[in-house]
Amino acid sequence: MTAPATGRRRLAGAGAVVRRRLLVAVPVLAATSMGMFALGAASPIDPAQQYAGAAAFTTSEENLAQIRANWGVDDPLPVQYARWIGNLLRGDLGWSTSRHEPVTSVLAARAGWTLLLVGTALALVLVASVLLGTLAAYRRGGWFDRALRSVAYAVQSMPVFWIGLAAIAVFALSLGWLPAGGLTDITATGTDPFDVARHLVLPVTVLAISQAPWFVLFVRDAVAESLRDDHVLAARARGLPGRVVLFGHALRTALLPFLTLVGTHLPELVGGAVLVETVFSLPGLGAVTVEAALGADFPLLAATTLATTVVVLTANLLTDLAYAAADPRVRLDD
Amino acid sequence: MAIRIKPVRVAAVLAAALLAAAGCSSPTASTSGTDNAATLVVATAGEPDTLNPVLNYGVDGASLIFDGLVARDVRNELVPALARELPTVSADGKTVTARLREGVLFHDGSPLTAPDVVFTYQAVLDPAVDSTLRSDLDMLASVTAPDPATVVFTLKYAYAPFLQRLALGIVPAKAFAGQDVNKAAFNRKPVGTGPYRVTSWTPGDRLVLAANEKYWGGEPANSGVVVAFVADDNVRAQRMRAGEFDAAELAPKLASGFESRNGYRVHKVPTADYRGVMLPMGNPVTGDLAIRTALNAAVDRQAMVTGVLGGAGEPAFGPVPPTSPYADPSVAGEPAADTAAATAVLDAAGWKPGPDGIRVKDGRPAAFTLMYPATDSLRKELALAVTADAKKVGITVTPEGLTWDAITPRMKNDALIMGYGTPYDPDFVSYKLFSSAFAGQGFFNPGSYRSAVTDAALQKGRDSADPAARKAAYATFQQQLAADVPWVFLTYLQHTYVLKDTVTGVTPRVEPHEHDVANSVWWNVHTWTKKS
Amino acid sequence: MTDLALPARVRRLRRTGSAGTMVAVVVLGGVVAAALLAPVLWPLDQSAVDLSRTRLAPSPEHLAGTDDLGRDVALRSLYGLRVSLLVGAVAALVAAVIGGVVGAVAGSVGGWVDRALMRVVDTVAALPHLLLGIFVVAMLRPGLGAVIASIALTHWLSTARIVRSELLSLRNRPFVDAAIAGGAGRVRVLTRHLLPHVLPRLALATTLMVPHAVWHETALSFLGLGLPPHLASIGNMINDGQRSLLTGAWWASIVPGLLLVTATLALAVLTGRWRDRLDPRVRAELQL
Repeated sequence: MTAPATGRRRLAGAGAVVRRRLLVAVPVLAATSMGMFALGAASPIDPAQQYAGAAAFTTSEENLAQIRANWGVDDPLPVQYARWIGNLLRGDLGWSTSRHEPVTSVLAARAGWTLLLVGTALALVLVASVLLGTLAAYRRGGWFDRALRSVAYAVQSMPVFWIGLAAIAVFALSLGWLPAGGLTDITATGTDPFDVARHLVLPVTVLAISQAPWFVLFVRDAVAESLRDDHVLAARARGLPGRVVLFGHALRTALLPFLTLVGTHLPELVGGAVLVETVFSLPGLGAVTVEAALGADFPLLAATTLATTVVVLTANLLTDLAYAAADPRVRLDD
Repeated sequence: MAIRIKPVRVAAVLAAALLAAAGCSSPTASTSGTDNAATLVVATAGEPDTLNPVLNYGVDGASLIFDGLVARDVRNELVPALARELPTVSADGKTVTARLREGVLFHDGSPLTAPDVVFTYQAVLDPAVDSTLRSDLDMLASVTAPDPATVVFTLKYAYAPFLQRLALGIVPAKAFAGQDVNKAAFNRKPVGTGPYRVTSWTPGDRLVLAANEKYWGGEPANSGVVVAFVADDNVRAQRMRAGEFDAAELAPKLASGFESRNGYRVHKVPTADYRGVMLPMGNPVTGDLAIRTALNAAVDRQAMVTGVLGGAGEPAFGPVPPTSPYADPSVAGEPAADTAAATAVLDAAGWKPGPDGIRVKDGRPAAFTLMYPATDSLRKELALAVTADAKKVGITVTPEGLTWDAITPRMKNDALIMGYGTPYDPDFVSYKLFSSAFAGQGFFNPGSYRSAVTDAALQKGRDSADPAARKAAYATFQQQLAADVPWVFLTYLQHTYVLKDTVTGVTPRVEPHEHDVANSVWWNVHTWTKKS
Repeated sequence: MTDLALPARVRRLRRTGSAGTMVAVVVLGGVVAAALLAPVLWPLDQSAVDLSRTRLAPSPEHLAGTDDLGRDVALRSLYGLRVSLLVGAVAALVAAVIGGVVGAVAGSVGGWVDRALMRVVDTVAALPHLLLGIFVVAMLRPGLGAVIASIALTHWLSTARIVRSELLSLRNRPFVDAAIAGGAGRVRVLTRHLLPHVLPRLALATTLMVPHAVWHETALSFLGLGLPPHLASIGNMINDGQRSLLTGAWWASIVPGLLLVTATLALAVLTGRWRDRLDPRVRAELQL
């Protein structure tokens, strides 16, 4: 039971977990990008026509064919994929045909805002769901528990864009407290953090609320369950105060499965962010991804999909590590 | 609370750093306040993909950042811009000579010379450049600069409206030295000769323009323009209502909500932008002239204008807008539906009502599919209105919302809600849309309409230099089209804009189909002022 | 499931619980029946338009007013719910079949097949559903089939996991051993002995998937990638009605939205009680 020894062992285990996760991540990423290109080859969409937009009506077929030839989008699929991989290894993510700029600069300009939105909403959801869920579990069946569950079920059945529109109607239009959309005041020439924060209050809150039911209900169930665990009952029997039993014992036990599930729920959150960005006209990755899908812009689609997958895999790895750190019973190298 | 604010600030700073690294932040990074009184904020849905005229940005002029050799005035008539006077056309119509205005400077201070003009047009013609404009300059054989102030265009054939093609913005040749035009940094941060220079462009958010004090046409009356890109109609309307914009393009129904509000006014701007039903000759039902004529009489254009367009439009009876000097008023019919005339035509042609009310001829029911692009709600509503009107005279129309790639292969046999139009010259769109030479070629004449009279009239219109002869040719064209009904023209749209009352100097002109940063009601924003 | 310390409260809870269940049953039954019977009771031409009666406020003649094209909102909402439920149910069934087959193969064959299949499940789970769905629709061209495919291809994961873990836990039960000892083949053991135990869970998972599928459909329609826009579906109606919100015609988007919320809420209450009887591990997988 010497603390440094266990600590070292655990760290060594962490290294193994990271290695194993990486071994899994590489084939997953390769498969994802290959799947993207395979689907793209089957796509009926003509990227040149999408590129031309309204001008497609006055543009001759040979003009469009020349543009397709310039892009090499009529090349066989393996050729396109090999070219893309080759460029990727050299740090070049390719050229976005729907945005008319390098994929890297699309990501650089937009990924930060999406991460900010998702990250802040996630932090808000985690704090709120742990607090509310634990309180509800403590007084299971009480008025607070019942009210919370009813609200959670109700919110769960509302589409996120509907909540967003309602929030705009109430807080931006009727009350005029917060801006209805955008990232900064329209005449601002820079990105002042407070200005941005004010513009992000509504989108972050809407995203958090729409995702909260799943987390709240889970915490509530898990804490309620662990309140019946032997060691929690024992702690209670020892006469420890309710607060200590609740937060010190029951919550700790319940948090473990919760942590692993945060990772698995992250993709849902990203999907919600796409809709929230659309409703609040935020210049994040959501809108461009939809545009890229419709414009058969594979370099951009592949990049956003890969970036999202990397974020989710990293989050899964982090939850694994956190899980191990929180629960001494879990050995990472098993 | 601390938990919420901290990550926001950290991430915002991080994001700001990212922006700075990407070269997007402005040199004067001050926030709202100070000297904004003279900056105008306009909002639009359409964000350009690029700011390079060679790659289709503001090709018809009024692009705020660039000037063409010629420009258009408030009546859309050509006036000299970078050319000292309107370019001269040789007697055979195949040589066009332009002499450049003296002392014009690009935003970076370098002077405009003839090689810049030559470079611009050669870039459009270069197959390695991804420009869809090449199709519009079919007739251009070569462009040369005999001296630094003269540009000579040599055409493959005489083309009467060629000067209309010279509104294309001129780019500085040296900005592209050794670069791929398709991927040049210029496309995001361009340098032009226009009334405004680009301060920053944040895609998906805004384009910030600052007044060009050295503009050859005189210093702009305001200090700058911010163009906000808000794709969603609703959000744009909400932000207009919150007072964020000085001017915004809004859907007619949303704009009408501002008519009664203090401090706002609504401009309904006439356009050459029409919507109609393309009826393919390859379909046995729509290929029948009786069906086409009956449909033309049965549609209630007035109800569409009031019900679908919220009053912002006018009935359409042909592809030449009533505001054009080439319009032939004799083709205009009744705005309201004439059900009696429609049924009379169908009865006479042998389309007899069956037991379910649907007309039948030779065992064939009067039914066809009407496609519309699924993402276009206006075309969807027009398709549904046509469906309802057709039903009243015993014709079954099945609306089908599809993507363009699904629509394209079916255009030979299925009807389609189409739309386009330009106010500048009747040749521009109509030549390819109605000539038999283009029958069945993609979006050019997809319904394979063929008429020798129409062909001859269209050809005469583009060959003749004499305006009176052109006018006569296009009158023949419009009358033949009205007789053959290859399309049922429904409405001309009006673009609706909401402006704050404090904005002065607004003089709308007839607009084309495409209107975003360029060619909107703010085409002359450099003469606008704002009372504070 | 009982709390010995508080029998009175538990009894009260049970009572209100059953009342809640009754309400949910009545609401869900009523709404679904109305939606299913709508074509018989109130026949409607889906594309009927009356431009002289646009955006009328709710009245006895039009209980929920009319929309931008003069169509009755209440009636279209019922038709919309019908379409959305149909799309949701079909997509959930397809997803259940995919997930069921994958889970059954993984759980009964085991070994490297199991590991490979579960790796595929993990990979798909790591992708945001909505993005994947958008991609599938874009590839297949928006339309009824594409929307169903998009939902089914992104929602089969939980079923696969449930079926697999059920099979794994059942494999070591005595009655299975007995059947194998009695000379029964693998397929026979699977169909005769294991499936009857797995099917109830599968049914629950499928039912829970329906509201998910309906949201997915509405989200796709909201982004303009869903069902044909002139078709009455909840997503299309909310999207269309969104424009009317500012012009004062709130009913055009609120009414279909409320109908969707009511139906899914009732479904959530019902399945929530069913779910509560399961062990927590499975429950997490079955969260709405």
